[in-house]
Amino acid sequence: MPVLNMAQAINQALDQALAEDPRVMVLGEDVGRTGGVFRVTDGLQQRYGEERVVDTPVSESGIVGAALGLALGGMRPVAEMQFMGFSYPAFDQVISHVARIRHRSRHRFTASLVIRIPYGGGIGAAEHHSESAEAIYVHTPGLKVVVPGSPDDAKGLLRAAIEDPDPVVFLEPIRLYRSTKAEVAEERFTVPIGEARAAREGTDLTLVAWGAMLRETGEAADLLLDEGIDAEVLDLRTLVPLDVPALISSVQKTGRAVVVHEAPRTAGLAGEIVALIQERALYSLRAPVARVTGWDTVFPLKRSEHLYLPTAERIAAAARRVMET
Amino acid sequence: MAFEFRLPDIGEGLTEAEIVEWYAQPGQEVRLDQPLVQLETDKAVTDIPSPRAGVLLHQGAAPGTVVKVGDVLAVIGQAGEAWNAPGTDASPTRGPEAAPIVGSLREAEAVAGELRALPLVRKLASELGVDLSNVRGTGPSGRVTREDVERAARMSQGPEERVRLSKLRRTVAENMTRSWREIPHVTTFGEADGSAILAARSEMEGRRSSPVPWEALFIPALLPALQAHPEFNASLRGEDLVLKRHYDVGFAVQTDDGLIVAVIRGADRRAPLDLADEVQRLAWSVRGRSATAAELSGQTFTISNIGAVGGRFGTPIIPYGTTAILSFGRIGEQPVVREGQVRVASVLPLSLSYDHRVIDGALGRRFLSKVIEGLERPPGR
Amino acid sequence: MTEELQQILTPEGELAGEPPLGMEETRGLYRAMVAARLFDRKATALQKQGRLATYAPFEGQEAAQVGSAAALRTDDWMVATYRDAAAMWLHGYPWKLLLLWRSGDERGNCPPEEVNVLPPSITVGAHMLHAVGLAWSARLQGGDRVAVTYFGDGATSEGDFHEAMNFAGVYRLPVVFMCQNNQYAISLRRDRQTAAATIAGKADGYGFPGVLVDGNDLFAVFRATAEAVERARSGGGPTLVEALTYRLGPHTTSDDPGRYRPADEESEWKPRDPIERVRCYLANRDGWTEEWQRAIEAEEIAEIEAAVAEAEALPPLRPQEIFEAMFAEMTPQLREQRGELLDASGHVPVES
Repeated sequence: MPVLNMAQAINQALDQALAEDPRVMVLGEDVGRTGGVFRVTDGLQQRYGEERVVDTPVSESGIVGAALGLALGGMRPVAEMQFMGFSYPAFDQVISHVARIRHRSRHRFTASLVIRIPYGGGIGAAEHHSESAEAIYVHTPGLKVVVPGSPDDAKGLLRAAIEDPDPVVFLEPIRLYRSTKAEVAEERFTVPIGEARAAREGTDLTLVAWGAMLRETGEAADLLLDEGIDAEVLDLRTLVPLDVPALISSVQKTGRAVVVHEAPRTAGLAGEIVALIQERALYSLRAPVARVTGWDTVFPLKRSEHLYLPTAERIAAAARRVMET
Repeated sequence: MAFEFRLPDIGEGLTEAEIVEWYAQPGQEVRLDQPLVQLETDKAVTDIPSPRAGVLLHQGAAPGTVVKVGDVLAVIGQAGEAWNAPGTDASPTRGPEAAPIVGSLREAEAVAGELRALPLVRKLASELGVDLSNVRGTGPSGRVTREDVERAARMSQGPEERVRLSKLRRTVAENMTRSWREIPHVTTFGEADGSAILAARSEMEGRRSSPVPWEALFIPALLPALQAHPEFNASLRGEDLVLKRHYDVGFAVQTDDGLIVAVIRGADRRAPLDLADEVQRLAWSVRGRSATAAELSGQTFTISNIGAVGGRFGTPIIPYGTTAILSFGRIGEQPVVREGQVRVASVLPLSLSYDHRVIDGALGRRFLSKVIEGLERPPGR
Repeated sequence: MTEELQQILTPEGELAGEPPLGMEETRGLYRAMVAARLFDRKATALQKQGRLATYAPFEGQEAAQVGSAAALRTDDWMVATYRDAAAMWLHGYPWKLLLLWRSGDERGNCPPEEVNVLPPSITVGAHMLHAVGLAWSARLQGGDRVAVTYFGDGATSEGDFHEAMNFAGVYRLPVVFMCQNNQYAISLRRDRQTAAATIAGKADGYGFPGVLVDGNDLFAVFRATAEAVERARSGGGPTLVEALTYRLGPHTTSDDPGRYRPADEESEWKPRDPIERVRCYLANRDGWTEEWQRAIEAEEIAEIEAAVAEAEALPPLRPQEIFEAMFAEMTPQLREQRGELLDASGHVPVES
């Protein structure tokens, strides 16, 4: 099987979708001629033409609003927001319209579209380019939110998102675009939306993570193993709908949990996960559930970035505290 | 059938309106949507059109009166129809039996074999020394409750009274726990012929007016053994065995609060009579609670006269920071075998506990033999 | 740049140009405007009777809505706002559904399959982009359908207006931007909404034509829209049509215009009534009689009353729908929450 990085895997998923379904189209800033600022859409406009791979004006609300109109008219648009920090102008279109059109029209009008958003920090990018606002999307009823942690998952989840009749926000961890490689099957395949995956099985505690943080979490699990702590790493893969059975059965098995995300702490998704664990696995818990997250601060610029992002050591330290209790 | 037109909320959250003017009087015919009454609200003055065609049977209130949303504003029906205002307000129609909108939090499904107890209850169980797996849970879904744990604790002990340990006891308990947990104890036993000691004691009592404490006789007898086997007069610090070149012997003093060790500094430099005075002085200080810290700690070896309470053999616990302790039991007449013959002799029982990390069995025996040798040597030799 | 105001029918009902419609068509649209006004007044009455939630009346804007909607083909898309009931109805959206929507029932947002009208938009400005996308998808799929989007003078200040106009211009999409400048955005007068001399002139900034018409002139509205639709349909790109009109009523039934505009202003506009001038025009050509007026009013109001009755007779919404309508298939979370709300028998427990 060929080995691809995540950017290549996403490219392949888009390529295959464009080839197999004439309703699929890609639109966004710089996605066509230059192949995207991360080259994720490289080569697609050359292959499928300007009508199907569209370079748009700098107009995020426009992109999402037009994508909704395109979907209502029968297309299957895959809209790109260049960075999560620039998706904010489109919030009104997403929250007020994309997310609710099916509900308010009782299925008469539906938004079969995907919004791809590179997100997260750790690459020393300029201001506003390192956002993790996934909680806002997760908190908006009517959206599915997906975040692959590996190239094979990226390809499968994106295809599933494109084929999903409902709007899917597809979060692409920028830090993983080129740094993770994996074998990716060449044919068309999907990874089910709504299913988590144990990236690593263990018995002593459950580390819950997604996206770029899977790397640090895996490193933490290695450190812990050296100390005799056998940690399970649960890659959520889908944030909405969350795979609650997988989460709970893992915590019931291990009795301890640490939730990791780079997004800010307060009202971050870890709160929701801890609430679920508390509701459904309290009697299995041997210790409080810990959270290792970004701080409630603006994401710092490059020089201080390392102070913000959860490190393997911070995660391992939290795990040790949880083990000691 | 007369239609009761109740004042609706006509302006996004209004709760009441004032009647300004009626456009129709009771008995008058009204057309559908014909202006019926003028109302004034917080937001505007507005005409309310009639929701029915028919005859106005009743005006809900007079001009200038405030009508609340939900109150009857007007009644419209057929000509000649009677309508009686109810004595009390019509009770709002009740739906099905009231229940909370959000169902109670359903208990998570119990996993087979899962012990269900809240963290707080688990903590209590551990404090009370209750094994949760033996406790039957009476809570929802078999959950073990606080009461279940407390009941289990009571049942295992029978009627009881709680007595708080004194600070002294707690400190002693802490130290003992530490010793017990960290030091691998081995106790070896021996017996000495007590006749020499007894003779020495009588002789000393002749020279002194007060009783001679046994410690004053035991200590000189065991000093040679300590000198010959410095491992017994030492302290294990990390990977180092610190051999002490001084001999500060601790001895147990019985107090109301329990056994307290007092320390005789430089026991090797004291003559027996001096030892006797020192033992008595320290015992008096300890019982009078006036002993200093230096007098209560820092021993290099410890002895314990369990014979004073009638004990013979025991398994003494090594004071933390030392490597051995020796108990002396009560000297008593015992049958012994000497040269194939059964005789009666005075036997002094000895129990030696030592730190097995530092002292092995052979050394332990050798030390004890040396002690016995010292005890059996006639006085003056 | 001031656009020239297009007018064909003067307020007095006199022709100032070629009528774009024959007598029968004109009578048909006259009747439609009469029906629209009857609906508007009925809806207002229903709101005051507590049978509709807040209602946004369009009295005074009948020609702007009816005239423009009449220029569309049935398969053309319409994306309109909460005030555009007349346009939506003329394009196939049943009175009953418009009433249902206004009574807080999602079934009102579900037009029949063959009706190409999106549910009315409450948010200001965002919906124009949806029309842009619809027009775009129509072209991509090889058809010649056009999308028309309705909005007011206030909406032109929203960022999405700019983004929609820009996309439409850049991609030369078959969109008609139909602005009903009724002089007010709730309480803000048009001259405080934008410093531009006209709204029509804004089209210049996006590279396509803007047209200014007398919005109370049925003929001018019809012709301008028909031209814009034709331009779009034949690949000529978008047009912005600004219809100058006046909102005779309040912003909504919760609003009191007396707080921000002088009473004599309304009386200034009354003589420019859109329905009256067509009536005069028809009357002068034996196209109108008192009898006919009564007859059509009776028939139209009967239809409206029937729609009211039908809407009010519908069984209540099933509570389950709240959860079932979120996605094509309910997520486990929604299934669980549905269970929390309903007891086993499917009833919603009532809070005491």
